[in-house]
Parts: sequence; C-alpha cells; structure tokens
Amino acid sequence: MRITNSMMLRSTMRDVGQSLNRYQQTQAKVTSGNAITTGSDDPAGTATALSIRRELSQLDQRSRSITDAQGWVNAADSQLDIMTTRLNRAKELTVASGNAITNMTPAARQAIATELRSIRSDLLNAANSTYADRPLFAGTAAGPAYSSTGAYQGNDDLVVRDVAPATTMTINVTGNEVFGVSGTGAGSLFEVLDRLATAIEGGNTSAIDTERANLTTAFDRVQAAAANIGTKQNALEALETRATNDKQALTSRLSDVEDVDLIESLVKVKAEETSYQAAIQMAAKALPVSLLDYLR
Amino acid sequence: MPNISSLNTPLSAMRAQRQILDVTARNIANATTPGYHRQRVDLSNPNLTGVGGVGGNNGVDVSGVTRSADDLILARVATEEGGRAAADTTAATLKRIEGLFPEPTDHGLSAKLDAYWGAWTQVANNPGNVTARSALLSKAGTVVDALHRGVQDLTTVADNAKARMAGIASEVNDLTARLVTFNQTVASQPNPSADLLDQRDQLITGITKLTGAVTKITDTGEVNVFIGGRQVVGGGYAAQLEAPAGTLRFAGDNQVVLMTSGEGASVAATINDVVPRYIAALDDIASTLVTTVNAIHVAGYGQDSVSGRNFFDPTATTAATIAISADVAGQPSKIGAGEPKIPGPTAPGVLDGEQARKLAALASSATGASTKYQTMIGSLSVESNSAKQRASVQAKIADNAVRDADSVGSVSIDEEMTQMMEAQRAFQAASKVLGTVDEMLGFLIERVGR
Repeated sequence: MRITNSMMLRSTMRDVGQSLNRYQQTQAKVTSGNAITTGSDDPAGTATALSIRRELSQLDQRSRSITDAQGWVNAADSQLDIMTTRLNRAKELTVASGNAITNMTPAARQAIATELRSIRSDLLNAANSTYADRPLFAGTAAGPAYSSTGAYQGNDDLVVRDVAPATTMTINVTGNEVFGVSGTGAGSLFEVLDRLATAIEGGNTSAIDTERANLTTAFDRVQAAAANIGTKQNALEALETRATNDKQALTSRLSDVEDVDLIESLVKVKAEETSYQAAIQMAAKALPVSLLDYLR
Repeated sequence: MPNISSLNTPLSAMRAQRQILDVTARNIANATTPGYHRQRVDLSNPNLTGVGGVGGNNGVDVSGVTRSADDLILARVATEEGGRAAADTTAATLKRIEGLFPEPTDHGLSAKLDAYWGAWTQVANNPGNVTARSALLSKAGTVVDALHRGVQDLTTVADNAKARMAGIASEVNDLTARLVTFNQTVASQPNPSADLLDQRDQLITGITKLTGAVTKITDTGEVNVFIGGRQVVGGGYAAQLEAPAGTLRFAGDNQVVLMTSGEGASVAATINDVVPRYIAALDDIASTLVTTVNAIHVAGYGQDSVSGRNFFDPTATTAATIAISADVAGQPSKIGAGEPKIPGPTAPGVLDGEQARKLAALASSATGASTKYQTMIGSLSVESNSAKQRASVQAKIADNAVRDADSVGSVSIDEEMTQMMEAQRAFQAASKVLGTVDEMLGFLIERVGR
C-alpha cells in the first residue's frame, strides 16, 4: 500500500485523539466516582441500578412504617401495663371486701366503692390515650375512644401497616377487644366496675360475687390484649433488624453497580496516561520526518 | 550526425521537465488541501503514437495533466461518509435525549415517582395528618412537572431537527446547482481538467453526506444524482428541495424525499420515529399513572367522608397534559385515603388509611408507571449504546475508505522530492544535449567549407 505523509498525519491525529478520549473518560469516572454517567455507558447496569433504587425506596418506606408501628405498639403496650396495674388493685379491693363484706361499716364500703370508681376513671383515661394524635383503642374513628360515661365511640376497623414485601401487620386492638362489648354478656369493663362499685356500696353479696367473676373475665381480656401487643412488639423488632440488613445488602449491591472500583480505575488512568504520552511522543518523532530532511 | 532539427529534441525535453517541475510544485503546495488529488504530467513519444511521423519529431510530448484518483474508491468514500454522517447524528441525538432523563440519579423521574409512592405510605400511616397529605400533593406535582418537562424537551429536540432539515434542503440545493454548472461545462468542453474533477467529487461527497444520494457518471462525463431512486440532478437540470415543516420534499410536486443514509436520514428518523416514540412512552406512563391511581382513588373516602373523587384529571391522559384533578388540588383533606366499608359501601372511620396503602402498593406493580418508566429508560440506554457502537464501527469503515482513497490520491512529499530531482536532472541532461548539439553544429558551420 502506498503511504503518504498526510495519511500518517491523519491516522496519528485520530489515534492520539482516541487515546486522549479514553483517558478523559476514565478520569471522569474516577473524579465523579460514578461508573455509570449515562445509561448508554452500561445499559444492563443502568437497569439493575434502577431496580435496586426502587427496591431501596420501598424498603425505606417499609422501615418508616415499621418505626411508626413500633411507636404505636409500644404506646399501646404501656397503656395496657397501666391498666393491668390498676385492675390488679381493683381485684385486691374486691377480694378484701368479699371476705368480710357484711362486717364492714357503710363508710368503709363507701371508701372501697370510691376507689373502684377512681380506678374506672383511670382506666377510661388510659383507654382514651393516643399515639401521634390518633386514639389507640378506637379502630379508625377520630376518637376519643370512650365518652365520659364509658360508651364506646370507636369502630372495629383494623389499622394495618406494610411491614415486609407483600406482608402486612395489624397493629391495633380495638376498645371492644380490650374492654368487652357493651350489651353482650357482662358488658364492658367500665360497666362491670360501675355495677361492682354500686353492689359494694349496697352490700349486695350475690351481686358482688357475680361482678367479681365478671371482673376476672374482663381482666383476662385485657391480659390477652397485652399478650397480643407483646407478640407484635417482638415481630416488629425482628422485622426492623431484617429491614436494616436488607438495606445494607441493597446499598452495597447498588454501590457495586454504580460506583467506580477506585483501585482498578486509578491503575487504568495511569495506563491510559502512559499510552497517551507514548502516542504524542511517537507522533512528535515520526511526523516531521520526510525526504526533505535529508536533502541539501 | 545531428541536423538543425535535432535542437528541438532537447528543447521539448526541457519544456516537459519544466512542466513536471511545475506540477510537482503544485502538488506540494496542495499537499494538505481537502479533496485535492495529486497530479502528474503524462509524457509520450510522438514517434510511438505515430503523430511525429518517420524522421519527424524525435522529442517528447506533454499529452496532458491527469489526476491520480480511483472513481470506484471515491464512490465508496462518498457512500461510507454518508453512513458515518447518519450514524454520528443518530448517536448524538440519542445521547442528547439520554441527557434529558438523567438516570440512575436521585433527581430523575424514577426517584420522583418513588417519592410520590412513598408519600402515599406516609398518608396511609398518618391519615389524619394534613402535612402528610399536603406533601403527597406536592410530590404528585413534581411528577406531573417532570412529565410535562420531558415532553417539552423532546419536542425541542424535534424542533431543532426540523430546523436542521430546512438547512439540509438549502445546502443540497446549493450543491445541486453547482453540479449543474459542472455538467454544463462538461457539455461544452469534454475532458474536464483535474481541478474540475476534484471539485465535482467534493460536491458529490457533500450531497451524499447530507442525503445518502447515489451518483452516476455518464459516458460523456455528466453527473446524475438520485435520492431514494428519484433523480435530483440530470444534465443541466436540478430538482429544488424544500423542508418547510421538517419533511424534505421536492418543491415541484411535494413528493417526500426518501433518504436511506446521510445526515438527512437520521434527522428525518429523529423527527418521525425517535422523538414520537419516546413521547408515546411518556404518554403511556402518564396515562397508566392517571388510570391506575384514579381507579383506586375514586373508591376512597376523604376526611369529609365523601368518595368518588379523582386524584388526577381523568380527561388529561398524556404526558403533556397530565394534571392533578380539581377535586383534590389544593385540598389535602379531600384525598381519598379511606377504604370503603363493604357491604355498603359506606364511609370508613376518618382515620382510615387503607386506600392510601393500596395506592402506595402501586409502586411495585409490574404494569405500573414506575415499571414502564424503567422499561423506557432501559430501551433508551440500549438504543443509545448500540447507536454509539454503530457510529464507531461506521467510523472505522469510513476511515478505511478514506485511507484507500488517500493511498491513491494523496501527495507524498518523498515522491514529489524524488520527482523534483528527477526532473531537475533530466532538465540538466537535456540542456547538456542542447549545448553539445549546438557545439557540434557550430563546429560544422564554422569549419566546413572554409
């Protein structure tokens, strides 16, 4: 093939240009830290990165839901704790009064009844407690859960959170579940306490016995609700740990796809710099040479 | 023994060598001129061609100056340069479109959609919270804006391409007019000069780069140009092209110019295929967003226990028009976060967030807007990547063709130097012969018959 000076010039310019271009691209990757600057750099990597980013965003949402659910469940748990303490006191009072109910003075009975009514009011307060302005025991109603007379104003709807992919958790227990439904069986806890206080005031032994049994049933119901909430607490803790681990795994996978392997790229930059220098040095030596240099 | 006419032989040699030196100087002067082909002086012996006749001219004739070019290779260069122009333009356009949708980043539409779905989760978790509801409306606003912006930017790409097409039309008209001038020159004086041929080839390459035109050179040396099978230049006639609305047409009968290569083919594809395709993809995303969200939202109840509201305007289902419906715009409490109670359906508790939870779940729907956007970005990056690769392959092919043409036609300084020395020596030798003949004749004239 016939080779001329202009051909050499052209191909040298092209090769040096390409070498500089590669050098610049690798350098841009190192300085930006991104392996993918535009999608076409790596279509497969881009698709993976987008998927992982979507997963991460959903995981973040679930983490927030889990945190919110934990706050809710913890609040409910502490309220149920208070209720259990107060109900234990109510049981103590009725055990004491049951033994010697007829021997007590009306004033003593009156004192017990007053304390029972105060326990009832404490329980009512606890039942109306809220988490982030939402009543804990009113289902999805605006609240408060109970009126001052002890009538339930909430509903039986579930409060649900997305806690894992395609997995939901009901985080609430409704007033009816915890305190019993008014008008069915012995009625609600507040009605039982009302009737018990009245019976003790009046010294009505048979009524006292009936209501004491009802109180035990109501107490068990509160205990069951507390156990239910406790289970949820444990489950949420496990889910939180899982979500944290998942997030770490996803973040590191994203970094594998999106971030530059610094050592590899630095070595590459150095190699490309050397090759670029070699190219321009070669061009500087080879290009000016022609027969002209040797004629005189 | 020399006679008087013997003086003419070295004279013709000296003339010829001087002309060779002339052409050599010319070649060196034009060593870097684009489109220039090295020229050489054709010498012939008139006795061999029979022109001189027996005992006639024993000198050398300059039969012409011809350029060193291979028409087949030049045709290949034009074709491949057309391909390079098309591939480069397509790659550049797709790169530009890619720049409009920066992914994977924290500020692309994908991240905005994710933030929007996340806002639904926040509403589901805090249905009574006005801040969460307002945040949802503002996130929806960013998605709507991003879609509007995407269509606008793509339209700008198409508009720029249309403007370029008008430029191509006038450039082609200029080139064809100059080819017509060439044809007219050839018609009046056959055997065009080397310079004229160089000029002709540059015009042909120019038209092919722009439109992928095919050129045929007739026996008489005239150039015929065809684009998409239709003649644009023939003899002294050139068809006028125009592109008033972004489509290249023949001015006479409004027929569309069908280009298969060249920059014009790529520009036409941008206008008629690439941009509409990506706008359609955005429209699909917008309409999916509107229909999937509305389908769930319509059943949902606002804080005022009223249902039947749309979240997005149901009549605006394109990316350019998508908007938050007037039912909820600016009224966060009317967002239908509550799930209808069955049977009924009746209004749920005011703090019910189940419907919002169902809407948040659209984030991972395999047929949802987020997935469709991801698919669009996937095909965009694949298309851009393969365009880039095609461009680099085409560049190699075109470079090879140019190299082959250069190998035949470009000026080599070494060759010219050698040629120069050769001509110089030949000139010296001829003058020496002239001197010798003169001396001999002088000897005869002075001494004989004294």
